[in-house]
Amino acid sequence: MRHVIFRVEKERYGLPLSAVREVVVPPERYTRVPRAPAAITGVMNLRGRVVTVVELRQLLHLPEGPTPLCRVVLLDRGRRDLGLLVTDVDGIEAVERVSAAPGKVTPAVRGVARLGGLGVTVLDPEGLDAAVVALFTAPK
Amino acid sequence: MTMDMSRYLGLFISEATEHLEALGRDLVALEREATAETVDSMFRHAHSVKGMASSMGFESIAMLAHRVEDLVDAVRQDRKLLDRDLVDLLLSAADTLMAQVRAVAASREPEAAAPLLEQLSARVRALTGHAPAVTRVAQVTVLKPGDAPTAGAGEPGALADAAGTPGTPGEAAGAPTADAAGTGPSGAARVGPDPADPAASAEPAPRAAPGLQGTTGVEGGGATALAVMPPASLMPPRDLSAPENLYGAPGARPRTDVPVEADASSSVAALGANLKVLANVDADGLPSAPRWSVRLRISPTCQVPGVRAFLVHKRLSTLGTLVDLRPPLEELKAGRIPDGFIQVELDTTVGEAGIQTALRNVAEVEVVSVSQAVPEPPIVAITPQTAENARASADASSRTVRVRTELLDYFLDTVGELMLATARLREVGKVMPEVSRPALEEGVYRLHTLVKDLHDKVMSARMTPLSLITDRLPRAARDLARRKEREVELVITGAEIELDRAILDELADPLLHLLRNCIDHGLEAPEERLAAKKSVRGRVLVTVRRARDRVIIDIEDDGRGMDPAKLKASALKRGLITEEAAARMADRDAFLLSCLPGVSTAKDITDISGRGVGMDAVKRVVESVGGTLEIESERGRGTCFTLRLPLTVAVVHLLLVQVGEEVFGLPIAKVVGATEADPDALSRSRETALLPHGNGLLPVHALEVLLGVPASPRPGLRPFVVMEGDAGTGKVALAVDRLLGQEEVVLKPLSRPLDLLPGLSGVTILGSGRPVFILDVPRLLTA
Amino acid sequence: MAKRVLVVDDAIFMRNMIKDIFASGGFEVVGEAANGLEAVEKFKELKPDLTTMDIVMPFKSGIEATREIIKADSSAVVIMCSALGQESLVMEAIEAGASDFIVKPFRAEDVLAVVKKVLGEA
Repeated sequence: MRHVIFRVEKERYGLPLSAVREVVVPPERYTRVPRAPAAITGVMNLRGRVVTVVELRQLLHLPEGPTPLCRVVLLDRGRRDLGLLVTDVDGIEAVERVSAAPGKVTPAVRGVARLGGLGVTVLDPEGLDAAVVALFTAPK
Repeated sequence: MTMDMSRYLGLFISEATEHLEALGRDLVALEREATAETVDSMFRHAHSVKGMASSMGFESIAMLAHRVEDLVDAVRQDRKLLDRDLVDLLLSAADTLMAQVRAVAASREPEAAAPLLEQLSARVRALTGHAPAVTRVAQVTVLKPGDAPTAGAGEPGALADAAGTPGTPGEAAGAPTADAAGTGPSGAARVGPDPADPAASAEPAPRAAPGLQGTTGVEGGGATALAVMPPASLMPPRDLSAPENLYGAPGARPRTDVPVEADASSSVAALGANLKVLANVDADGLPSAPRWSVRLRISPTCQVPGVRAFLVHKRLSTLGTLVDLRPPLEELKAGRIPDGFIQVELDTTVGEAGIQTALRNVAEVEVVSVSQAVPEPPIVAITPQTAENARASADASSRTVRVRTELLDYFLDTVGELMLATARLREVGKVMPEVSRPALEEGVYRLHTLVKDLHDKVMSARMTPLSLITDRLPRAARDLARRKEREVELVITGAEIELDRAILDELADPLLHLLRNCIDHGLEAPEERLAAKKSVRGRVLVTVRRARDRVIIDIEDDGRGMDPAKLKASALKRGLITEEAAARMADRDAFLLSCLPGVSTAKDITDISGRGVGMDAVKRVVESVGGTLEIESERGRGTCFTLRLPLTVAVVHLLLVQVGEEVFGLPIAKVVGATEADPDALSRSRETALLPHGNGLLPVHALEVLLGVPASPRPGLRPFVVMEGDAGTGKVALAVDRLLGQEEVVLKPLSRPLDLLPGLSGVTILGSGRPVFILDVPRLLTA
Repeated sequence: MAKRVLVVDDAIFMRNMIKDIFASGGFEVVGEAANGLEAVEKFKELKPDLTTMDIVMPFKSGIEATREIIKADSSAVVIMCSALGQESLVMEAIEAGASDFIVKPFRAEDVLAVVKKVLGEA
């Protein structure tokens, strides 16, 4: 299956192409979402739609890094688009044979695969959606 | 060639869903009153679903629908067969069918539901006394929508099963064909029998029913059948030696022969034939209508040979007088035709050509032989079959098409964007040099008119009748009533009134919750009702009406009513209102206390679509689409919830305020006023600053603190907005950094996950393109 | 000139499928109707060469509609769309004047074969 391959810092991730609506450049400024969890960067206006943007690094509990976040990967979730703020997008690649990820597994991660000799973490669109909802519903 | 059914999948899903919803409604209505119309309508729905599912090759759906059809048909014959258990069984079948259709929509294999199917079949046997008929299903496999992008290698018409199962040899139906092996790495496997596939023709198609082999899927069956048909000379001699054939001589039979079929049309035809015959009367006064012996064979691939034979009989009987038919008509109609052979003796003047012509147009029939038992009669011209009529020109009558709701949403978003772009152009025009301005402004004006017109059209296309959501209520009412062992009569009026689709979508859960509220808590137990001299059966009225630009929905029960004192006490206990406020509070407001979290929802929370929905959520949703909720109640008489809703996506007036870098919208409807004051000069009660307002003091809340946004207010005067609170909070003053002015905006409901945040009632996009949240101040203060 | 067809069925699904089948066979579908009442009206208005007629429909059944169509034009060609188990209804329709029938679920080639036969094109 074809996947959109993108990076958070040096780490490579993939999402099924069918689950991605588009990739956009982040807006100059976001509208802050009051009382939202820290991982929520804000909302942006994408051609009349209000899209919630979440920092993938924080969603996956990855350490902070120095590289600027240059792209928003838009998950196609019907009427409620979800934007994932990532370091950069590499392109579209065919990813075969996804195997279980080692160590602690979160629902957001479907598994790992090899691509051009390097590892890529394949994410699960519904899992990501659920992870975002969990951020909001988790007791403070 | 296999038909590519995948293009019909969307239509199948939407139409089957409609039929199943209607079936569910009918079932509920049926239990109240079993009218012939309702039963007929149910039959049609089940029948349609069966037909569509079998065309799509969804066997499990087709079978289940077929059993429902059987049972409804039995009820159609005898309505006394209907009882509560049968309705329950049919309802669960309708539910399962719905789940199966949903599974198909999600590209999953529908559940086979074998136990239910067995139950239904047993019921069919019990009611009709015979085993249910076999369900015939087309041998097609629908390309699942989700798989489409990955199935690039498939040839046209090949049905690929690509996603996730590369190389899986054709799962349920058939083996991979030779050409599938060569379609590349995706391993697209063609499923279903294929004429070129030796495996498929060597063994019966897996889904073909006993006795129907060769009728489904296997192409070329007809040709094979024809090849094995014996030539006329090899026909069994018994037919020729039959005693009836002995009177084949001309004139050996009296002319007064009665037609085999005594029905009017064949008699008329026979009469006509005889009239023609009379014109050719021989010198000795006997008619010369010659007798023909016709031998036919119904194709072995014909699924309904009885009907086919009947059609042949009908055709031939219009040519003249049928003097013999073997097998006899009743046998033919029942499909008891050994090897498909039919022998007819016919007196007609149309000749062999006429007989051949009459049968040439009948499919699945082969004329084995036509032979004359008498000398060739004068040939009578055959009337041309169709007169060339003057045809009315093909008129492009107005057509309706179905549009997916996402597309409607897209239209609205795009029109919104067009409006924004137009506004921006106008802004740009203001700073253009004087000379070029008029032309631009004219263009912008024209664009604005067009876009506005388009907006109106899009909005009207989005209008959807409320029945879309109220249609679910009778079933819900029935289930609730049954669970609570109560009798409920639900009367819905005005459901044909239309609302914007986006508002409707939001209202589905709140309406269901209000209905539940009425049945669970509003209506009393039967004994209690009797004691109160009410009818045992409780009544819930859902009345929809239109009042200017609003739609008003009343949900009213004739139950016990609400107790304002109890509600006040409960709110007091939770510290949501003060003793003083409780004392002054009107009943109307006290009823609304039930919408505060914790007052009555604690025991009321119902689980709809996986999340708790209480009265607070109902109120929030109604307000988020720009509507209001009112509650009227009288002890012992009942409660009425009134929803006042805008017709279209709400246009709201906002007061825009700035805090730090952020802009927020406050609904003007809830703004009492604005004032300026120095926060440091305000008096305080404990931690809370107090702003003088009218004759009293209002608690002050700094908006940046409430919202958790960074802001560094400058020392000195600060604007305050005085807002209406709710029953619990009373008026409050909000400290902001700047008042930006009023704006009229289109409110968008919050989508997941934003709807999970308390204190936001919607979002909008300003002319500048900036998204701005609209605040629900009372919720901000309490949550 | 392509033969002109009127498609009668209460399910849009079926109408679309039948329409596509006819289009693939070089016919021109000039109209559709969703019930028996509409069918008779459309028939009188369009005078099609061929009408496909569902049997179980709201307001007026396909059999009634066929009867009225034949009454209006005895040379009308009406093909019943039936399902297994509806044999007696189809016979009733034949009595009412239907020219032929097809059985659901049908395949494109079967439909076209019957239609071409009925129209004398096979």
